[in-house]
Amino acid sequence: MTAVSSAAGALAETSSERSVISLRGVEKHFPIKEGAMQRVVGQVRAVDGVSFEVRPGETVGLVGESGCGKTTLGRCISGLTPTTGGKIYFRLGDEDATRLDEIEAVPEEDRNSEQRAEVERIDSGHRIDQLSGPAWRIYRRNCQVVFQDSFSSLNPRQLVKDIVGRPLRVYKEASGVELTERVVSLLESVGLGRQHLYRYPHQFSGGQRQRISIARALALDPEFIVLDEPTSALDVSVQAQILNLLHELQQERGLTYLFISHDLGVVRLMSDRIAVMYLGQVVEQGTALELFESPRHPYTEALLAANPDISSETTVMRGLPGTVPDPANPPEGCRFHTRCPVATPACGWEIDDAVGWLQTHETLLGALVDVERRSNFDATLVFQDAEAAAAVGAAMVDGEVPSAMRDALAEVATDGTRVDMSFIPIEPVRLEDVGGGHLTSCILHTPR
Amino acid sequence: MTSAPDVDPQPIPRSLVAAVKDLRVHFQAKAGLVHAVDGVSFEIRDGETLGLVGETGCGKSVTARSFIRLIPSPPGVYAGGEIDFWSTEARRAGQRPIDLLQIPQSEMLRIRGDRIAMIFQDPGKALNPALTIGRQVAEVFLQHRSGEILTALDPNPPALLRRAARQRSSTFERLLLKVPPWRGKMAKLTRRLDDLVAKALTETQIPNPRKIMDSYPHELSGGMKQRVLIAQALACNPDLLIADEPTTALDVTIQARILELISELQARLETSVLYISHDLSLVKEICDRVAVMYAGRIVETGTTEEIFSNPLHPYTRGLMAAVPSAAHKRGELAAIEGNVPELVEPPPSCRFSSRCPFAVEICRTTDPRAIPISEEHSVACFAYETGDPTELPVLEHWVS
Amino acid sequence: MTDVIDTPLTATPVDGPVAVRVRRFLELSRQVLRNKTTLAGLIVIIAMISMAFLAPLLTTPNVPDPYQMPRDWAALNQPPGTPGHILGTTSDGGDVLYGVIWGSRVSLRLSVIVVSVTVTVGVIVGSLAGFLGGKIDEILMRIVDVFLSIPELIFALAIAAVLGPSFGNIILALSMVFWVKYARIIRGQIIHVKQNEYVDAARVTGDSRFRIFAKDVLPNSITPVMVQATLDMGSIVLVGATLSFIGLAEAGLAEWGVLVSKGQVGISTGRWWASTFPGLMIFLWALAFNLVGDGLRDVLDPKTESR
Repeated sequence: MTAVSSAAGALAETSSERSVISLRGVEKHFPIKEGAMQRVVGQVRAVDGVSFEVRPGETVGLVGESGCGKTTLGRCISGLTPTTGGKIYFRLGDEDATRLDEIEAVPEEDRNSEQRAEVERIDSGHRIDQLSGPAWRIYRRNCQVVFQDSFSSLNPRQLVKDIVGRPLRVYKEASGVELTERVVSLLESVGLGRQHLYRYPHQFSGGQRQRISIARALALDPEFIVLDEPTSALDVSVQAQILNLLHELQQERGLTYLFISHDLGVVRLMSDRIAVMYLGQVVEQGTALELFESPRHPYTEALLAANPDISSETTVMRGLPGTVPDPANPPEGCRFHTRCPVATPACGWEIDDAVGWLQTHETLLGALVDVERRSNFDATLVFQDAEAAAAVGAAMVDGEVPSAMRDALAEVATDGTRVDMSFIPIEPVRLEDVGGGHLTSCILHTPR
Repeated sequence: MTSAPDVDPQPIPRSLVAAVKDLRVHFQAKAGLVHAVDGVSFEIRDGETLGLVGETGCGKSVTARSFIRLIPSPPGVYAGGEIDFWSTEARRAGQRPIDLLQIPQSEMLRIRGDRIAMIFQDPGKALNPALTIGRQVAEVFLQHRSGEILTALDPNPPALLRRAARQRSSTFERLLLKVPPWRGKMAKLTRRLDDLVAKALTETQIPNPRKIMDSYPHELSGGMKQRVLIAQALACNPDLLIADEPTTALDVTIQARILELISELQARLETSVLYISHDLSLVKEICDRVAVMYAGRIVETGTTEEIFSNPLHPYTRGLMAAVPSAAHKRGELAAIEGNVPELVEPPPSCRFSSRCPFAVEICRTTDPRAIPISEEHSVACFAYETGDPTELPVLEHWVS
Repeated sequence: MTDVIDTPLTATPVDGPVAVRVRRFLELSRQVLRNKTTLAGLIVIIAMISMAFLAPLLTTPNVPDPYQMPRDWAALNQPPGTPGHILGTTSDGGDVLYGVIWGSRVSLRLSVIVVSVTVTVGVIVGSLAGFLGGKIDEILMRIVDVFLSIPELIFALAIAAVLGPSFGNIILALSMVFWVKYARIIRGQIIHVKQNEYVDAARVTGDSRFRIFAKDVLPNSITPVMVQATLDMGSIVLVGATLSFIGLAEAGLAEWGVLVSKGQVGISTGRWWASTFPGLMIFLWALAFNLVGDGLRDVLDPKTESR
């Protein structure tokens, strides 16, 4: 039995499946190119180390604001974009998953050849970037997508019948009259009908087009569907129709969903478990109930506080000050600390934060000439004149900088026009379990 | 007793900023005349935030834009009604309102940006990518405050400078202005303008206003751009601010800050706000009163408290029951069947009748009128014809 | 199950697959023809093409080669209105009307061949560059840039001069030079269209790259090419006439450019007809295709197409 067909065989078995999709340390970095020669000067770290599982039959919600990487992650999972790091597994069985957990606890260099061979075996059978032939087809058929923009996700020059029937044609599952009948039954299962077969997308409303997209996604009877903001562009009443439909289909067909959205209310309703993303990482993960009733991360709390809720009694919506850090150069510690209302000195304050603070003082910022960086935590700021340097030095010690930042300073020394500063370096944050699978990366909530 | 000819003899019951009376706006389309706004009436009171809520195509944006006559004509046609407007001055002097739909274009240009300002949904599209922020915000001052700025610098400004301040210099004059002593005077004018712009930007809590003034729109984030637009809109201390879905394109944490800002500025400047949105939960948080629109008509009006605790119109109820909230279970969102009807020369009827589970014969043949249920709360639905609150029909809670 | 009711305007009677496409084509045609100038252009084009096809019937073909102007030494420089020569004759007795009619055949052949070749080559090159991207895109676009750095007319002139004076060579030269703009146009369109989510959707379906190109990318990128091709049908004849005017075609060819060239000598002595009538034809041909091309562009512009 060749490797390829055995891989296909492995995928075909779903009985002992622990996860439909398993993400381990997934990264997606985009190169930043500059100049005529298009040199790579940096990387935008859109997805920067994400791990979680989607289990059969459940809906996992992926929530976050713009730039958090959720859409990019969705594209990696659905195979539209290759990852630049980490692994995505499809239909990983219980045994294999446990085995992987064990082996991955051992650092790469210390693994013996048996362990390496096992990883290779599992990888070649389940990693989506290593599948080929029949195994790839199984993955491709079983992982479908419904996109956000119902207008641009349907080819304007194709008839509905061709759009919905296309997957059947590609896999040669049906043709002619049989194809037409299967398309009709798909249309009916999403609330459309035979009369819609020979029409163009522009003849439908937004909600109807989204139904067509869903019908297309269902054509091959897939196991897993990535829903990328499926109702964000729809009116409230139409959204209700589509969400009800999605739920009904999930019940009828035993579908597994990854529901990506920025709308907390929708995600709460539709998801069993939720992962909250910020700047390329998952900051909190847990069941919908856990996250909404007892959030364990300041960002989750901020999202909840900012979200207008129609059923709430309070009328105070609080926003977040500050700006999102540059995704090309994110903080080494907690990425949220620059805007966190409860940041502590141990959250990962860096030179960039000091410079960022300077941005709020026009005159001082204007006097900054150079930053000699020795590491993210240790650098020397050079100013135009000693006065400015002294002012900055003083501010760092007992001035207006946030107290958490001040307390994170190991050393500040002003010398003429130069200010040396170094922060206490900290380790990168990790997601920790705070009880029953509820994970958070905030040190305020994790026992340390 | 003599009275000035334009003092309104009838006492104004409440202090109003604007009153829309039976507004009708139609659009000429291939298929016929589309009744986008079909008899809309509501009031905006001094200092309040009125929410105009509805889904796509209900006519809320068209209504808002009609205030400052932004509807392109053709294909749009102001087919009836009036929009009465009282500026703060007019109100204090007890004068009659002006009808925004009838005043000559020159007067409308004076009012736009000065007495009535508008902010739009997509801040990226509302800013000219080729001009710096400073230049763009300065436009408002140049348009409406040039006279004052100039007189503050020079009690008797020569015509040359006056024209320059209003950006009406001829080419020759522009060359002349580069020559001292005119150059010095222009520089003073520009500096004064810059100060005003910086002040306006600071009001909206933009950090580093001077740096922002030299930046171009693409260098700013969405939230920042919207702040600039708010600064521009409020620069001349307008009496009415129309906000057309200003936070739809922004993240929820930024949205909350922008709304905080608007409400803060509104309180301080005593501006009234007409807030257009499709987001019911948002409207609940920030509006004093709410008017719900459907298919070109207002179906229900009332205080926020009343509308949300006791929605009367079947559409309002259906809409609220369709918003996902903690109380819902999956798959049980209320789903109003069908779609919004096309509004091509529709016959007299309740526009919601084709989708309303409680519709009866009269709903399909007659236009409903607004029935007052309480002092503030009114609904346009035949089910409430009796008017007696104790006899209100019990419309079952919507479930799909 | 929630029922979805159609909105009245979009509820057209239920069509079959063929009917709906025919209906859409008719709708577009109706929109194009609504414009009076476009309609006028179309009528002129039909008239000229008919004239081209019916040439052997409308006139007595010259022997042995109908594309050579007949010479009637007995009727030199006759003005229009002379019996037997409605539009007059040229300096060697050629019937101007004959030249006008057979010239349309030559022009038709020229424009059809050149436009077909240039569109095909240009679309292939541009598609490869736009769809495949990367190194292929860079290499192909550098080639395109080289071509673009030389003015088209001069380039074609040089090639035709090198190959030798014949109308066939003019056709060849033009085909070698004018494909570049199509490559550019379609590459730009493809890069834009590729970003649409329906292309992603097709990839998620698992379709092959070629099929995605053929069904999703190309059909949605081709309309500017169609508009440009229509416009070029007109302007190519202008360019061809220019080249033949300066002598790069066979002398005595029944072609408008040649005729204008030959007849212009006589203008100073008042013999206007030999060059004016062929010149008029060039003008009409180019104008007519321009009008139709513009009308087509107005209708096919993506912003208006979605209705």
